[in-house]
Amino acid sequence: MENEVLRIEDLSILYKTDLETVYAVNGISFSLKEGETMGLVGETGAGKTTTALGILGLLPERTARVTGGKILFEGEDICGLGDRELQRIRGQKISMIFQDPMTALNPVLTVGEQIGEALYLHNQENLSLKEIDAKVEETLELVGIPRERKSEYPYQFSGGMRQRVVIAIALVCNPKLLIADEPTTALDVTIQAQILSMICNLQRRYGTSVIMITHDLGVVAETCDKVGIMYAGEIVEYGTLADIFTGEHHHPYTDGLFGSIPSLTENSRRLHPIEGLMPDPTDLPAGCKFAPRCTKCMEICKNTQPGVYEEKGHQIRCHLMKQKDENRKRDALARRGKSGSGENVQAPEVKR
Amino acid sequence: MLPKRPGQECPGNASGAFCGGSYHQVLERIYFMSKYIVKRLLYMIPVLLGVAFLVFAILSLTPGDPGSIILGITAKPEDIAALNAEFGYDQPFFVRFFNYLGDIVFHFNLGTSYSTRQPVMNDILARFPNTLTLAVLSMCVSSIIGISLGILSAVKQYSVLDHVCVVVALVFASMPGFWLGLMLLILFSLKLGWLPSFGAASLKHFILPTLTVSLTSAAGLLRMTRASMLETVRQEYIRTAKAKGASNRRVIWKHALKNALIPVVTSLGGGFGASLGGAIIAETVFAMPGMGTLMTTAIRQKDVPMVMGATLFLAVLFSLVILVVDILYAFLDPRIKAKYQNGGKGRG
Amino acid sequence: MVKSRKRAQLSEFWRRYKKNKTAVIGLVILIIIVGTALFADLIVPYARCIEQVGADRLQGPSAAHFFGTDELGRDLFARVVHGSRYSLLIGLVTSLMALVIGAVLGASAGYFGGMVDNIISRIIDVFMCVPPILLSLAVVAALGTNLRNLIIAITVSCVPGNVRLIRSVVLTAAERDYVEAAKSYGTSNPRIIFRYVLPNAMGPIIVNTTMSISDMMLSAAGLSFIGMGIQPPSPEWGALLSNAQTYLFTAPHMLLFPGLCILFSSLAFNLVGDGLTDALDPKLKD
Repeated sequence: MENEVLRIEDLSILYKTDLETVYAVNGISFSLKEGETMGLVGETGAGKTTTALGILGLLPERTARVTGGKILFEGEDICGLGDRELQRIRGQKISMIFQDPMTALNPVLTVGEQIGEALYLHNQENLSLKEIDAKVEETLELVGIPRERKSEYPYQFSGGMRQRVVIAIALVCNPKLLIADEPTTALDVTIQAQILSMICNLQRRYGTSVIMITHDLGVVAETCDKVGIMYAGEIVEYGTLADIFTGEHHHPYTDGLFGSIPSLTENSRRLHPIEGLMPDPTDLPAGCKFAPRCTKCMEICKNTQPGVYEEKGHQIRCHLMKQKDENRKRDALARRGKSGSGENVQAPEVKR
Repeated sequence: MLPKRPGQECPGNASGAFCGGSYHQVLERIYFMSKYIVKRLLYMIPVLLGVAFLVFAILSLTPGDPGSIILGITAKPEDIAALNAEFGYDQPFFVRFFNYLGDIVFHFNLGTSYSTRQPVMNDILARFPNTLTLAVLSMCVSSIIGISLGILSAVKQYSVLDHVCVVVALVFASMPGFWLGLMLLILFSLKLGWLPSFGAASLKHFILPTLTVSLTSAAGLLRMTRASMLETVRQEYIRTAKAKGASNRRVIWKHALKNALIPVVTSLGGGFGASLGGAIIAETVFAMPGMGTLMTTAIRQKDVPMVMGATLFLAVLFSLVILVVDILYAFLDPRIKAKYQNGGKGRG
Repeated sequence: MVKSRKRAQLSEFWRRYKKNKTAVIGLVILIIIVGTALFADLIVPYARCIEQVGADRLQGPSAAHFFGTDELGRDLFARVVHGSRYSLLIGLVTSLMALVIGAVLGASAGYFGGMVDNIISRIIDVFMCVPPILLSLAVVAALGTNLRNLIIAITVSCVPGNVRLIRSVVLTAAERDYVEAAKSYGTSNPRIIFRYVLPNAMGPIIVNTTMSISDMMLSAAGLSFIGMGIQPPSPEWGALLSNAQTYLFTAPHMLLFPGLCILFSSLAFNLVGDGLTDALDPKLKD
């Protein structure tokens, strides 16, 4: 596909220290087209941020290791690239919005300097310092900060304003891909909406692809085209927004996530939280990672890893799907047997 | 919430932040800095009064009065009383203190020595330059060695250089300075004969004492700089800088260094105190006529005014150095400036 | 339940501590030094410290005198072994006293704020303007030279720094929500300070105290060296070195051994302090 910006194939990342080995990301795959927004949803510790840092090549050098898979950015595997090549991509083609605006800005540099730096580093149009400065002011206004404030320091800004600065830093070079790592988690609810709609507007304006990392399904519903649900370093369910929100079949974990949301419209008596905690990433269960918490856990789930079952691009990694799959196949066969011809049967595209 | 900024009133102020600040911003900065400096200077007055009181009070605990110390207990009581009156010792404590202060402020006089019966200021002014030279030299040498090796060590964490720096620094930081001085003296003066072993006649005489004082404090600075640098490069804004595509070199010099040096610069004031202390002891090792040897002699002779004068003199010098370091620090950390911009209530 | 959790925390702490080889070396040296100080009389009787053998003056190390002898023919090994008591005693007592005074003043300043903080902080500002060694010298000059006064002098010079550290640590800890919570259900002030604030601010305080023992030992040796601390003939290490200075040419061994002892004890506390820092604050090690 010519307009595919990012394709991740079977990516695995672990952290190894003297004391333990943390399996943070375990064979995830997804792809992203130009202008598309993909949501990466999951609990804290599901490996979302690790995935993001892996794409940027910013994993902690001494402990983290990419143990397998490919990260294809515009068709090129950027996984094994050297520092210099990665530095050319970072900030210019791929940039990132970090979670906590209170710590993501350098306290001793003015916000103008920090925004201008990305331009200065990737100065392809040979802008003079004056022109860079003008662009910085333009970008500041774009994110809703008066241009005069460029010579102020981060401590002079509130949290929401700082996040705008962080976004300005990420967008000043018009990147192809923007990774937003929980951009609104640390902010007030009213500010959250502003920041989200700002990201979306800017994205539409520049045709940027976005990976929206969040644990908030509300954010996903508002902003994303595609969704990947992550659990213990795996994408357990992947599909379009419609697949995830209104699709017929779901991974039990996705069901659990939706069950954990308090609803204003439905008059349900109680929430249905997922019991238990994420498995210890240093000692993952042998079978399905979700098995210990799954309400529909079967014998097979405890010792065999489930494969991916796909239906029109909607992928689910669960043994239940296999059963449903087989049931469907059996039904289809039965129907075929009855009618005697298989031509006009709408057999779903079944792929393993 | 934000004060009116001079920069906003000037429509022509379009260039700036990225190239280091426009004319108006520089003016504004200087204005707030001078406000800060004046405030700090004013605050020095009560602090110095406090220091004078502290030193005076501690040394007033010395048993005995000037008369019996100078003349001995066997002297006639009326002679002792006469001498006490001469030194103003017949007055109550607070009267003596204010007389002492008055003498310092109006006559630049720190009192009269019991042993020489001369103003102690004479001796102090004669000895003080040696101590100051030694302390300042040591301070410079230790800052240069300590900070630069500390940065290097942190940047090359886990390298051979780093390990060597860490171990050597630890050993030097655990070493008594005077012992190091004695070892250096044996090696360079007695065995090799390269350097003089005592006195303060030429700059050459200062080499060994300077090394003695600076090596131990450089070790402390190295450890501190390294730790601060390592902590800084773990901060999230460093990741932001990397995500922008900044090279490792740029990340370190442009983003990490200034932040990492903030606590180090803060400690330099105290470091000067340590250098001063080191100098006082090193003077004994190298038989150097300075404030340290002056004070130890005075203490042995129970020459209270001399000890008091010397202590106060050095304390005032030290407070001035701390003041300079604090101002330097305010230049480095924009948050301090903010306190004075936002009426003492800076955010963050 | 609480006990077992505490034990679990301790064993986790120990597991992290012993990962750090240099810290373990420091601990071993420390144990040796403490053992020497405690059992000095068993290692070598005190009589050997004062026994003067005219024939054996200024002898280098030998089987009879491990560390050689001094100008009066006294056995240096015995003197160094018994001298360890002074250094350790001074280091520990001064650090603990400075810690207690610093904790009371610093915690009150940090916790109560306002007037209390203002008064304490201003007084500390004044103390901080006098370099520590000058403060010690002034105290020694006023009180005279002996063990007790040396301990007072060094403690006084160490207190201001402690007050500042503990004040800032407590300020940070006092802003935490659990302190608000404790206040909200009417816990008394001292109880909040000692039960909620200080334990949660313990890490930096423990590390600082460990490191300060080393500093205190060095200052004590320094003051004794210039004759302002413990006086000869007490076998304190600084005093031994002061004595050795006269015989630099003829008997450098007199300089070597007491100096090495100071170096190693100070090193041990520093290593343990470093180890504690890492073990108490695991996030710094990635």
